[in-house]
Amino acid sequence: MDAVAGWWDDYFWGSMVVLQVFFASLVLMVVFGLIGSAAKLSDSKIAQKIAAAYTVVFRGTPEILVILLLYFGSAITITSIAQVFNPDIKFLDIPPIWAGTFAIGLIVGSYATETFRGAFLGVKPGSIEAARALGMSNFQTFIYIRVPEMWRLALPPFGNHMLSLIKDTALISIIGLNETFFVASQAIASTGKPFTMYIVVGCIYLAFSSIITLSVMGMEKFGNRTTVGAR
Amino acid sequence: MNFDLELITGSIPRMLVGIGLTFELMFLSAVIGLALAIILLLMRISGKWYLNWPAQVFIYVFRGTPILVQIFIIYYGLPQFDFIRESIFWPILREPFGSAVLALSLNTGAYVSEILRGGVLGVDRGLLEAGSALGMSARHKFIYITTPIAARLALPAYSNDVISLMKATSLASTITLMDMTGIARTIVAQTFAPYEIFISLAIVYMILTYFIQKTFGRIERRLSNYVNPEGLE
Repeated sequence: MDAVAGWWDDYFWGSMVVLQVFFASLVLMVVFGLIGSAAKLSDSKIAQKIAAAYTVVFRGTPEILVILLLYFGSAITITSIAQVFNPDIKFLDIPPIWAGTFAIGLIVGSYATETFRGAFLGVKPGSIEAARALGMSNFQTFIYIRVPEMWRLALPPFGNHMLSLIKDTALISIIGLNETFFVASQAIASTGKPFTMYIVVGCIYLAFSSIITLSVMGMEKFGNRTTVGAR
Repeated sequence: MNFDLELITGSIPRMLVGIGLTFELMFLSAVIGLALAIILLLMRISGKWYLNWPAQVFIYVFRGTPILVQIFIIYYGLPQFDFIRESIFWPILREPFGSAVLALSLNTGAYVSEILRGGVLGVDRGLLEAGSALGMSARHKFIYITTPIAARLALPAYSNDVISLMKATSLASTITLMDMTGIARTIVAQTFAPYEIFISLAIVYMILTYFIQKTFGRIERRLSNYVNPEGLE
């Protein structure tokens, strides 16, 4: 463990990058998931088809391939556009952190699409009828009846999606993101202790996933505090 | 920036050379992983804390860390220790292929054991009581009642895990293995045509996913063709 001593600060900043990517991709994941599920539930055949294609494509492709495609693809596109204005430019890219965040948000969003759709359809018809009988408007029904029932249903799979997100951040190191995994590679180059350095990375990720698991458990408990019996 | 069709038709056969390696990684890890998952499952439902705890810790660690980190710890990390380099496992761990199979098996084993456990917990209590009433021993009940029903319950989730495993084999390219993704990355490094190469490869993976889903769908139908259509009860 002595070898790690000089690297704690680098690991700390690497962890901060992991958190940054996690929260940014979490927002994107929710946005893509909501758009996708809205499209799947809509009456438009075209929107349904597009949403179905979105889930099939991103569930059937390895994550690393999506990250590589978005990063190098965007780089080559930007470079060729820039060369129109200035032919001397050799290489321009979107920073790996944004290309990677966008990629994993898009991937996990395709899984979230199904979760949100399932939660929407899982709301009991009786609850909706009761709301109608009480004279609630569509909007009121949505806010007071649908959303509270939906988020309880969606929470357990949503927790799994968050775990996927945090673990997928490690893949962004492949395109050169300066996170914990990348820190470990640098530390190994100077100390020659690969096992120790990668174990530290593993522990950091394990800590993050434990925090997510515990928070989701807490939120589930909070969400079900008024429901009778176990769901 | 133009879409080079010739490059696609030329590079798809080159990438497909790596499909054999993708399949080898997938099948070996799936078989070893399933065996490991069954052992872990038996440890967890054994009711003995000294078997249950290690299994739970193993599952927790392997599900809580990225598979990329696991692959790197096994391939780059383990040789740090002399006793591993002198052990009989060194010929396997020295090779990127052996390390990748080991990492993928351990990872998928942890996930699958949880899936199987879900299946076992889903078995109707009444059936087990009926088994007891017929005088079946615990072992007989497990083999003749729990196993067939749990397998059927776990199959849909298991098929998803096989797809994840197939996608995870692409990470073997990070430890110098030349599977389809490894070859694609080499071609992109030479030609710098990421769209053409990566999109064609993505389509190949999607076709594989489709076939895995179809195969499992067929197995599911075969396993449940005597179950009442109202549901798996």
